[in-house]
Amino acid sequence: MSFFGFDTTLPRDRAAPSERRGIFETPDPFAEVARARAAGFQGGDDDDDEVIDFEDTYDGLGDQLDDDQDAFNDDTFGDDLGAPPVGKDFDFFGKTAQVADAIGEEQIRYSLQKPRAPPAAAVTADIAADPAVTAAAGKPKRTGYEKYSDPGYIPDLQAKSSVWGVQKKQDPTPFMMAQAQAQAQAQAQAQAQAQAQAQAQAQAQAQAQAQAQAKKMLSLEEVEAQLRRYPSALPGQVPVSLPQSMPEPAHPLQRAQMPPLPEGFAQLPPELLHAQFAKGVPPPAQLLHQPPMVPEPYPLAPHAPNMPMHLLQNANMPPQHMGPPQRQMMPPGGPRAQQQQPPPPPQNMRGNNAQLPVITNPQQLMHLSEEQRVAYLMEDAKRAKRNHKIFLLSKGNGLMTPQDKNFITRIQLQQLVAAAGNVVDSDSEAVLAEDFYYQVYSQIRGAPRQHPHQPLGHFAQTYLLQTGNRLGGHGNRRQFQNADNHMQRMQQQVQRAVEAAKAKPKNKQLIIEGSLGKISFGNAKAPKPMLNLKRPESSEGGKSFKKPQTDLSLSDRKSILTNIESVYSTLMEMEDMERTMPPPPDENDPEAIQKHMEWRQNVRSLNQKLWRELKVMEPIVPNTNTPHPFIAFLSYPKGKKAIPRIFRHIDQEQRVTILTMIVVHLDTLDVVRRAQPVPGETQPSLAVREAIDLFSQTVMPSLLGYVNEAPFNIIIGLLGLVIAQTHVQLVAKTRIGLGILTMLLSRAEIVKEADQASERDWQQWVEKFNVLFDTLEPTFADLFPSSINAGDDMYVWQFLAAVGIGASPDQQQRLVIAVKDRVMETVTYSKTLPADMASQRLGNVNLFMRAIGLDVELLG
Amino acid sequence: MLFFSFFKTLTNQTVTIELKNDIRIRGTLKSVDQYLNIKLDNVDVLDLDKYPHLSSVKNMFIRGSVVRYVMLPRSEVDIGLLEDATRREAANQAGKAK
Repeated sequence: MSFFGFDTTLPRDRAAPSERRGIFETPDPFAEVARARAAGFQGGDDDDDEVIDFEDTYDGLGDQLDDDQDAFNDDTFGDDLGAPPVGKDFDFFGKTAQVADAIGEEQIRYSLQKPRAPPAAAVTADIAADPAVTAAAGKPKRTGYEKYSDPGYIPDLQAKSSVWGVQKKQDPTPFMMAQAQAQAQAQAQAQAQAQAQAQAQAQAQAQAQAQAQAKKMLSLEEVEAQLRRYPSALPGQVPVSLPQSMPEPAHPLQRAQMPPLPEGFAQLPPELLHAQFAKGVPPPAQLLHQPPMVPEPYPLAPHAPNMPMHLLQNANMPPQHMGPPQRQMMPPGGPRAQQQQPPPPPQNMRGNNAQLPVITNPQQLMHLSEEQRVAYLMEDAKRAKRNHKIFLLSKGNGLMTPQDKNFITRIQLQQLVAAAGNVVDSDSEAVLAEDFYYQVYSQIRGAPRQHPHQPLGHFAQTYLLQTGNRLGGHGNRRQFQNADNHMQRMQQQVQRAVEAAKAKPKNKQLIIEGSLGKISFGNAKAPKPMLNLKRPESSEGGKSFKKPQTDLSLSDRKSILTNIESVYSTLMEMEDMERTMPPPPDENDPEAIQKHMEWRQNVRSLNQKLWRELKVMEPIVPNTNTPHPFIAFLSYPKGKKAIPRIFRHIDQEQRVTILTMIVVHLDTLDVVRRAQPVPGETQPSLAVREAIDLFSQTVMPSLLGYVNEAPFNIIIGLLGLVIAQTHVQLVAKTRIGLGILTMLLSRAEIVKEADQASERDWQQWVEKFNVLFDTLEPTFADLFPSSINAGDDMYVWQFLAAVGIGASPDQQQRLVIAVKDRVMETVTYSKTLPADMASQRLGNVNLFMRAIGLDVELLG
Repeated sequence: MLFFSFFKTLTNQTVTIELKNDIRIRGTLKSVDQYLNIKLDNVDVLDLDKYPHLSSVKNMFIRGSVVRYVMLPRSEVDIGLLEDATRREAANQAGKAK
């Protein structure tokens, strides 16, 4: 029993010794080998490698074989035994097919064999023809060139007669054997041409056997066609095959080393093969002796025709790599000059090359002087080295198309975008958000835009231009069509990336995988936060004024101002909406219609929001100290300024509502209420005057704009409201109050003159007007600012004119009586004024006088 | 970025800058950057007898952090627009703070 529990009972002859041995008795490891070797020599080529006896290991599988199933043997091994005898037109393919099986078997065995074993008789006829090789096969380190060391050696030249003759020369050298295992796999992929030479190669066929059998039915023409499909190949690591196969297309080994390439890479193989040739170029000493048996053009020649391809390939490489291929063009130059002089030292490669003869026929080498030959071979070695270098550098050439590169770039950019957080939709939006004042101001005032989106946009542009050049440079035909599209996508991508980079990074913390801490970072725009506090959502101030019913708090300054601000923000939203209005929808474009509908929906909801925030519809509470929220809204300059903007975004109904609201609250309006000068003062305080000015500049035009289009019945209703709801006398003493009254009266007059008023409406109006006139009659003289020189009284004259036009002759007379004094006063006063001011004052008076059919001129 | 945006519209206007050390300088605003550093040209120092060492200075670059006031020509400021820009800025800030 073994100490390790191995089952030691199997081989009968070994059982005894192992039992005899103790644990510490060292076995002689080589004894077995020696024994096996001896056995192997005696046992023949079948199991000479085995350590144990055949009988011991035979598992009896052979007994299970079904010997009856020979039906397809002919198919498998070929039944055409009556083929013509081997000659110069040897049926290479057919023969190969016939012995394919045997080759395969031999192959496996051969590769497993010890080198010293005689080569198997697989291709016996061929090998026997060359005893030197047979002998050489025994020494693994041999290169196969030994026989050429004799300068006089001239091998059988018939090899050149046809590429198919190659097989005559080919033989399995030890060099190949060493590679056999590694290449076996690759060769399995080799195509039919590999198979064509299988006989000569005698390698790895077992693995490729299935394939080989599938393909062996190809005719010679087919095989040739396949061969031509591949660019001419130069020999690689198989020096022995060099002489014959150099000009031959597609050496199987070389094919095998390249994985099958897709169509798009058709240009690649020559490059690789060249380079491989460079790698495998034999040492000069051997080259020297080769020429005699290589009647075909020297490898240099094949290089030249391939140049364009070379260049094309190298276009992908940095410029410094362009050098070697160019230099390769040189050798054909200057053959004559060289003949006379020995080659100069090789510091000048170009010159050197130029002076060497062009060796088109290797036999020429033989006629050169020793020096020239050495120089030539040195050149050659250098070239080989260079080619090798190119090969190493160009391994990845063309694997990625420009499109692929773009694709990768886009992925990277995408990640950049994703990492940087949210993406701003469009450039202009972002600019407007960040730089609103400048952008709009520049548009309004036409300020010089020195550098619109300077820093980053410029950068992106530069980058894109660069890419464009590169693409245009050598994109192939297919890519050309896509290039534009590609560029656009790239551009978008870059823009988004740039935007994202501009935007504050959303993730301000970086957690490196595997680390315990976090790294937070910041930039100038978003400084690194020292405290990370979450603001509770509910603490926002918006809640309080969402209640439908307004309480007292609305009257206080803060809530009013908040209201105004919310109105403004809604206004700005609406203005933004206006800017982003989609183009008028096309009937046939459901998407555009959809968009438009959505936009309209948004506008509508914003309008509702604005309307709510204005609080126009708050119930009117009579007799309270708290002003109506909308009136409070109007009491702030900000609120007044908002009116024109609001009027642009609301419909007629909402406008009339606002107007009604203002008219109803006319006497509580700050500009009316506070417009009464405090006793002792000739006019209201400066702040109030400013407020009045502002009101008449902002609110009044909006109201006037509406009133000028308002239907007559609304005018009548409004006048009725003024009379019913307000202290008309008080209101009429203020500029704003008078202004609104003037507005209504003049509109009525216009309607009347245009004959748009129905008889009934007009009756109603006259009734109301009479009430107003009667109410105001006692105070007509008091409408004016107290002192004649208190300033502008034009609005009063305008009002009086409006009253005068609409008044009956009787009323007109009463009116004249009421204001007669003021008229005379003004006329007298104007005489003391400078001419222009005087004419202005008189013009104001005349406005009224003409309304009632008079003229200041009559007053003399 | 509101102030940056605002000051950009004032380039090539004459402004008066008061520094935190009370020096007041009047000059043409050439450019501003995001730190509100200011480049001034055709510089006039207002109390020149107090700061004689500045008498030969014709242009200067002022670090934004040393500026106390910038006095602007009123006509060059669009107040309504500035108000709206301020509202936007406030909204942006509020959005960012969340």
